[in-house]
Amino acid sequence: MNVGRWLGYGLGGGLVVAGIAGLVVNAHQTDPLGWALWFGGLIAAHDGVLVPLVLLAGVAVGRLTKPSPVRAALTVAAVLSLVALPMVAGIGRRADNPSLLPLDYGRNLLVVLGLIALVTALTTIALRLRGNRRRE
Amino acid sequence: MKERVETLMRSVPGRFTSGLHSERVAARLGLWLGVSFTVAFVTGLFSHFMQHPPGWLSWPSRPVGLYRVTQGLHVIGGLATIPLLFAKLWTVYPKLWQWPPFRSLSHAVERALVLVLVGASLFQLTTGLLNISYAYLWPFSFPVAHYWTAYLLYGALVIHVVNEWAKVRRNLWAREEVEPREAVTARRRFLGTVAAASGLTVLFTVGETYAPLSGLALLAPRDPHAGPQGLPVNKSAAAAGVTAAIRDPGYRLTVTGAVRTPLSLAYDDLLRLPQHTVRLPIACVEGWSAEAEWSGIRLRDLAALAGVAPGSVLTVESLERGGGYRSSEVRPPHWNDPLTLLALRIDGAPLAPDHGFPVRLIAPNRPGVLQTKWVSKVVAG
Ligand code: HEM
Repeated sequence: MNVGRWLGYGLGGGLVVAGIAGLVVNAHQTDPLGWALWFGGLIAAHDGVLVPLVLLAGVAVGRLTKPSPVRAALTVAAVLSLVALPMVAGIGRRADNPSLLPLDYGRNLLVVLGLIALVTALTTIALRLRGNRRRE
Repeated sequence: MKERVETLMRSVPGRFTSGLHSERVAARLGLWLGVSFTVAFVTGLFSHFMQHPPGWLSWPSRPVGLYRVTQGLHVIGGLATIPLLFAKLWTVYPKLWQWPPFRSLSHAVERALVLVLVGASLFQLTTGLLNISYAYLWPFSFPVAHYWTAYLLYGALVIHVVNEWAKVRRNLWAREEVEPREAVTARRRFLGTVAAASGLTVLFTVGETYAPLSGLALLAPRDPHAGPQGLPVNKSAAAAGVTAAIRDPGYRLTVTGAVRTPLSLAYDDLLRLPQHTVRLPIACVEGWSAEAEWSGIRLRDLAALAGVAPGSVLTVESLERGGGYRSSEVRPPHWNDPLTLLALRIDGAPLAPDHGFPVRLIAPNRPGVLQTKWVSKVVAG
């Protein structure tokens, strides 16, 4: 065991202890129960629901297509949709402040997905053409 | 029975057939995440200590756009981290099912800390994204929970990096062993896809703080040109409960505390003082920023008029009755800066109520929450 390793453990352990202490000492603002529900709930939702769904989708897509721009495009589209979801849902809109979430996010997400589809289609065609030429 | 379960559990990791569940991919993504979490932690701490500086700390008022850049990096970089984290967790997912789950006490501790790392990462990115989307779906104070969870996350990350460093070195810098061509292609394709998801996330959001790209900010929670007088608002006059108070003809701006001459100035008196115009960004803690042309009186002129000592700390108070941001401290580097104004106008027109009519503070290199609106009092201490 070298010194760097133990320095790392000391630093990391110190930060972990500081974080837990801060969460506990400021319990009136961090609401430890609510915090723990979010913390644990996110792990459960990610490991128990999201990843299994992604794995299933991966198997399905893998049966349908060889590795191709389509696979990459589906991955990118899924991630961007997830990032946009809270804005599309518009939970945070407030009547007194129209400058919050000012855009039509549903439409914008469709535009983004459309752009991804377009680029994918063009790339696929380009790859096919190149492949044909090579075979000739 | 027990044996059957054993055999089943032992077989789980082997069922993940994709070659991308590999040490090599995990090492590369880990490196990217290490960089992005370090940027988030450093810029986050910067934001925290700008808002809550210990007594001995006086931040400089320049460069003008420093906070705008660091907080933009924090939030847009945080969004770019989301695809990286998903990819990393997908890559190492088979290890969740390793059997036996714990080989030794130290292995159990290591796995517990990995659980903390995963939970804290998901917590920071998810609540961060929801917070900038104004979806406050939790019972805790976001900044306080986010602040302390950051220490938890970074601590667990440091320990994880120490434990995995040998693998990172072996996979990224050690001499390449011969690999099948397909494996290399598959890895490049996967990492390229992840990078594309990150890059597009940035491309479609960064315009909320970098105005030249605002036309591309299709998925950003703010448009830097949307709002009264073409400028976004965080708290409206209605939400602050000041709609009546700001129209009161008896409004006075007072300068009190450790002063030679206490002042009490009506709105018209303020208009008669020397006016200055500056171009400054308002840079929100939520990562968006927007520039405007502000006119009004220099805070240092007002301080000189009242005879405030140059080393004093000024507290600027709002007409708001309560709320975490009803007052803010202005330390000497900021109030002595000629760019720091008590602004009366935006682009030549009186402030809209939502921008702080009759008077608001605007200073360089300072989070938006400290640019106090609806100002009625300056106290020298
Ligand atoms: C999607 C990702 C993220 C987003 C959108 C985000 C957003 C934010 C926002 C809006 C604030 C300002 C809070 C306020 O002052 O009201 C903030 C502060 C902060 N963030 Fe993040 N964040 C993200 C990820 C992270 C990560 C990964 C870390 C740690 C490694 C981190 C550490 C911090 C810290 C230490 C602060 C200062 C909190 C304070 O002022 O007390 N953030 N973040």
